[in-house]
Amino acid sequence: MAEGPGDNLAQATVVSKKRSRISMVWLIPILAAVIAVGIAVQRILTEGPTITIIFKVADGIEAGKTDVKYKDVKIGQVTKVELAENSDTVEVTAKISKRAAGLMVEDAKFWVVEPRVTLSGISGLGTLLSGNYIGFAVGKSTRRQRTFTALEVPPVITGGQPGREFTLRAHDLGSLGIGSPIYYRRLQAGQVVAYDLAGDGDVVDVTIFVNAPYDRFVNPTTRFWNASGIDVSAGAGGLNVRTESLVALIAGGIAFDTPPWASKAQPAAARTVFDLYSDRAIAMKQPDPLAAYYVVYFTESMRGLSVGAPVTILGLPAGEVTAIGLDINPSTKNIRGRAEVVFYPERLVARLQQSQAALGRTLLRDLPERHALVQYLVEQRGLRAQLRSGSLLTGQLYLALDFFPDAPKAKVDWSLEKPVFPVVASTLPDLEAKITNILAKLDELPLQAIGSDMSKALITLDQTLASTDKLVSGLDGKLMPELNSTFTELRGAIATANGVLLNTDATLVGKDAPAQQDLRDALQEISRAARSLRVLADYLERNPNSLIFGKAQEKP
Amino acid sequence: MTAVTAQQAGLVSCETCRLLSRPAGGTQLGHCPRCGRELAWRRHQSIQRTWALVVAAAICYIPANVLPVLTTTALGSTDSDTIMGGVVFLYTSGSWPLALAVLVASVMIPIGKLMALTYLLITVQRGIPARDRDRTRLYRLVEVIGRWSMLDVFVDTFTVALVQLQPLMSVKPGPGVVFFAAVVVLTMLAAMSFDPRLIWDAGSTREGNHG
Repeated sequence: MAEGPGDNLAQATVVSKKRSRISMVWLIPILAAVIAVGIAVQRILTEGPTITIIFKVADGIEAGKTDVKYKDVKIGQVTKVELAENSDTVEVTAKISKRAAGLMVEDAKFWVVEPRVTLSGISGLGTLLSGNYIGFAVGKSTRRQRTFTALEVPPVITGGQPGREFTLRAHDLGSLGIGSPIYYRRLQAGQVVAYDLAGDGDVVDVTIFVNAPYDRFVNPTTRFWNASGIDVSAGAGGLNVRTESLVALIAGGIAFDTPPWASKAQPAAARTVFDLYSDRAIAMKQPDPLAAYYVVYFTESMRGLSVGAPVTILGLPAGEVTAIGLDINPSTKNIRGRAEVVFYPERLVARLQQSQAALGRTLLRDLPERHALVQYLVEQRGLRAQLRSGSLLTGQLYLALDFFPDAPKAKVDWSLEKPVFPVVASTLPDLEAKITNILAKLDELPLQAIGSDMSKALITLDQTLASTDKLVSGLDGKLMPELNSTFTELRGAIATANGVLLNTDATLVGKDAPAQQDLRDALQEISRAARSLRVLADYLERNPNSLIFGKAQEKP
Repeated sequence: MTAVTAQQAGLVSCETCRLLSRPAGGTQLGHCPRCGRELAWRRHQSIQRTWALVVAAAICYIPANVLPVLTTTALGSTDSDTIMGGVVFLYTSGSWPLALAVLVASVMIPIGKLMALTYLLITVQRGIPARDRDRTRLYRLVEVIGRWSMLDVFVDTFTVALVQLQPLMSVKPGPGVVFFAAVVVLTMLAAMSFDPRLIWDAGSTREGNHG
C-alpha cells in the first residue's frame, strides 16, 4: 500500500487559546465574604453576655448611653431599659464585654453611680457631666448568673479590697451610717459597710470592714465602742476631752482596741460577731467574773438611784446597782423599795497591799470564808448600806457601805439566792430639809425694806452729824467764856476761903486740931478739883469733838 | 424594533474608541486598527464579572448596615451609630426630610442598584426578550445614580476631619463606613462591567461568545 507522505501526517490541532471559564473577578466577592465572615466571627467571639439588672428606679439610666463600669473601666453598656412586667421595678438589659463575662457571678453587685454628698465626702462628681453609670463590684462565687438585683446604695467596700468584715451587735445605731469611719488608735482603719436589724428587731447588726493592715489587730478579745461625739470627763487630774476626729464628731464613728489586760490572741476570723459598747470606758472595763449578789430593801425614797449606780465600801468602788424595784410584804401589806446590787470582790482584793494579796486570793477562792467575813463585819462591826448623794446638783444617789456600830443588830441570811444586806436610813432627807429651810428663810428676808431703812438711817446720821458740828461750835463760842468767869469766881472764892481759914487757924484750937486737919484735906481736895477742871477745860479747848465722841485713845 | 447589530453584520466595535472594524480572520478578532485595543464582540466575561461584583457588593452591604459608621465621643460618653440608627435618630429628633434623604441615598439607592443589576443579569442570562427599552433605561439610571451614593462616605469623612475638639468631643469613623464605600464602589464597577448590548442580543441571534 502506497502511502502518500501526506496521508500519515497527523493533523495539527488548533487549540484556541481558551480563557478560563471562571473569571478572576470572583475573587472580589470571595474576599468580601471572607472579610465579612471574619468580622462576624470576631464579633461573635468578642460578644459578651447580655445581663438583666433589676432596679427600683432607673435614675439616669438610658439605653445606649449608660455604661457599666468596673474600676472606672467600661465593661458594658445598657441596651434596653423597660418596666418589669409587674411595673414595680425596672429591668435594665446590658451587654457586657467578653472580658468581663467571667465576672457575672451570682454575688456580683450593681448600683447606680450618681453624685452623692454625704458627711464623709462627696462622690461621683464626674457623673455630673457624663451622666450616671452603673457601678459594678465582683463577687466571690463562681456560679454564673444573668439576672441581678441592683443595690439601692453603693457599697462602701468593693470586692477585692484587702481586709476583713466583722459584725458588731449594738442596741441602737446611734449616729452611725454607711461609710462611718472605724478608728484604731485614731487612724482610720475601715468603714461601716451596712447595718440591719437583727434578731427580733431588738438589736442592730452593724457590718464593718477593717482594711488590710489593721484587720490583724482585731482579735477575739478586741472591744469596739461608739466613738461618736465628745467624751468629757472631769477628774482630779483636770478636764479630759476625748474625741476621735472631727468627722467622727459629725458623722459618727467606731473605734476599737484590745484591752491591755486581754491575752494576746490570734486575729479574729472574718464575720466574727462583736458587741458594740457605748463608750470606751465601758468597752475597756475588765469583766468581773466573780460576782456576789445581794438585795437591799429601803423604806425611804430611792429617787436618784439608777441602775448602774456605784456601790462603794469605805468610798472605794466595789460594785453596782443592777436592778431597782418594789417589794410587797404579803403579811404586813407593806411595800418597800428594792435594789439588787452586785459586788465584785476582785476589785477590792486588787486594792490590797502586796503582802496581803495572798490572803485576798484565799478569800476569793473560799466562799464560806468570804461569807464569814461579811457576817462578822455586819454583825459585829455594824457594816450597813446607806443611800448617799453623789451630787447635790443632779440628785444622783449611790449606795455606800459603811460602819455604823450603833445600828440595830442585823444578820445575813445566806440561804437566800440573793442575801439581804441590812441598811440604815440615810441622812439625806434631813440635810435636804435643812437646806430648804435656810433657803426659805433667805427668801422671806425683807431685803427691800432693809434697804430703804438703811438709806433713811444714813440720812438721819448725816443730819445728826451736822447738828453736832453746830453744837460744838456753839460750845466753843458761848460756853467757854462763861466757864472762864466761873473759874475766876471760883478762884476768888477760894482766896476768900483761904482768908477764912487763916483766920480760923488763928482762932481754932491748934495746929494739929482734927478740924483743922479736915479742913486742910478739904481744901486740898478743892484745889485738886480745880486743877482737874482746868485740865478738862484745856482739853476741851483743843478737842471740842470729844464732847460727843469721847476722849481719843492714847496712842502708844 | 429590530435592527441589525454590528455583531450580526460581522463587524466589531472598539470598546475604547468605538471604531467599527472588520474582525481579523480566524479565532482571534484581532486588535483595533486605531487605538490598538484587543477587540471583542461583547465586553469580556461581562455577565460573570457583573455577577461577581454584585455578589461582593451584596455581601458588603450587610456589615455596612450592621457596623457603626460613626463613633461620637462627647463629654465622656461614647455613641456609636449605624446608618439606620442615624436615620432613626434624625427622624425622632424631628428632621424627617433629612432622615428621608439619608434613607434614600444610603439605604434605598445601594439596595436598588443591587436589585436592578440582578434583574438585568437574570434577564440577559435567561435570554428573556422583554421590555428592552425599559431595561436600558434602568441600566442608565443605575450608572448615573451610582456616584451619588458616595454622599454618605463624604459626609462621614468631612465630619471626622472637622469635629476634632479633643477632649470635649471627637468623631471617629466606624468600620461600617469602609463596607459602605465598598458597596458603592463595587456596584459602580458592576454597572460598568455590564454590557448593555447584551440586553438586545437576547432578542436577536444567540451568540455564545459573551459567556
